[in-house]
Amino acid sequence: MKTNIIDFSSDFNKFLLLKDNEEQSYILVNPQGDFSFELGNNSHLKLAIINKGDNEALIKGSVGSNSELEVYYADFAEGNNHIKTDIDLNGENSFLNWHLASLSKNNGKKIYEVSVSHNALGSKSQINNYGVCKDESKLNFSGIVHIHNGAHGSVAHQTAKIIIFDDNTDAIAKPILKIDDNDIEASHASSVGKISDDELFYLTSRGLSGEKARELITFGYLKPIIKGFDNEEIAEELIKEVEGGF
Amino acid sequence: MSTLTIKNLHVNVEGKQILRGVNLEINSGEVVALLGPNGHGKSTLLNVIMGHPKYEVTEGSILFDGHDVLSLSTDERAKLGMFLAFQSPIEVPGVSNSDFLRAAVNAGKEKPISTYNFYKLLDNAVKEAKIPFDYATRNLNEGFSGGEKKRNEMLQMLLLQPKLAMLDEIDSGLDVDAIQVVSDIINKEKNNERSFLVISHYARLFDLINPTRAIVMVNGRVVLDGGREIIKRIDTEGYEFIRSELGIEIAKEDTPRPASNSIGVCAVKEAIK
Repeated sequence: MKTNIIDFSSDFNKFLLLKDNEEQSYILVNPQGDFSFELGNNSHLKLAIINKGDNEALIKGSVGSNSELEVYYADFAEGNNHIKTDIDLNGENSFLNWHLASLSKNNGKKIYEVSVSHNALGSKSQINNYGVCKDESKLNFSGIVHIHNGAHGSVAHQTAKIIIFDDNTDAIAKPILKIDDNDIEASHASSVGKISDDELFYLTSRGLSGEKARELITFGYLKPIIKGFDNEEIAEELIKEVEGGF
Repeated sequence: MSTLTIKNLHVNVEGKQILRGVNLEINSGEVVALLGPNGHGKSTLLNVIMGHPKYEVTEGSILFDGHDVLSLSTDERAKLGMFLAFQSPIEVPGVSNSDFLRAAVNAGKEKPISTYNFYKLLDNAVKEAKIPFDYATRNLNEGFSGGEKKRNEMLQMLLLQPKLAMLDEIDSGLDVDAIQVVSDIINKEKNNERSFLVISHYARLFDLINPTRAIVMVNGRVVLDGGREIIKRIDTEGYEFIRSELGIEIAKEDTPRPASNSIGVCAVKEAIK
């Protein structure tokens, strides 16, 4: 499948429509303004998104029956962000598969509100937000996963994890579940903390310096997102950004 | 010849004294079984030798090959050839096992190993540890079963070729076949240049690896140091004879082990600012 690139640098709002049985893959560069989409039935939309700094965007749309929205969001650029999502799982067995890796540093303020509504039988959401927060920056993961009454058999899992490096960071991971149906499966997990002594001890006991050990653990939070980018040039750029960030 | 010499070692954990004057010497080529009731300092001793930051040494010394171990960082100790196989190996999400193993192999070298040579080395070690190659590409211990984690510890030992291998309950959580694999590795890796310090609660492992010596820790001290017949005796009689023959009252384990706060263990309340 060919991956197309949509660059928001000059033109802010975009709309994407996938008909039934369609499969498409896009890389969104520097999202700004509204990105809306509509997925028909049995379709698959893959979005790999890369921030360039100072991004403010709303990602909104609906997912049809047996369709999947797959998102890999890489945000390693310096600056302030405010990114919101408002995704409706309207079709039976529709699926949101969301992955975010964010690095905040210096005085940057980054806010992610990943919200999704389960409106249909057997709809599924998997939300993984990983972050690394340094210097005096702010990183905030929130958003609401709402399972509406009647969406029997829905499955929702949220994970939000942030490593903090410095004492003056402001890091918050607040996954919220709202559940109005009683035949569902849901879980959420969050953690915010410095790299633990036990993790550092384990890695350094194999001869790795403390610095190398911290680097490996940090890269482990951020690098896996790069697998979602089917474009060598952009993937290389992301690797450089992560490795250069330390 | 590598020698580990521990003199009058006193150690506190969170203000509580755990080790109360440990004296111990281990020479190259020795395979030492470390026994004792739970909570009497066996794991603490191994963690202190390796340099876990939680433990505070209040008195005493540790020398390895003439180096003052207590003045060295954990990675420097590893580079001298000390190795600890963890009782509960840590899961590190996102870090691939092979990236970690390669960083570990390279840590002790001036010139990094080539990718080709690393994979050859890894391939051999993986075969010896009888673990599927895909372990190496998975994330470090993440989602591994207890037995898989322990075999991954043995894989690291094979790759790092330490002079002193300390194994903390390497056999716990292993089935009979896996214990055989682990003991085969230990037997194969035994040589005159290397020593082993092995904690286990089961005679089965010791039957398979034939320790040259057995020591028993009670109340934070080494109270018995002798031949492997001690293992047999403890296996059949328990620790009662320590009291009746040596006149040492065995203190009961009174405090639960402290839980650690690490990422993934819901440290949210404490850490959020």
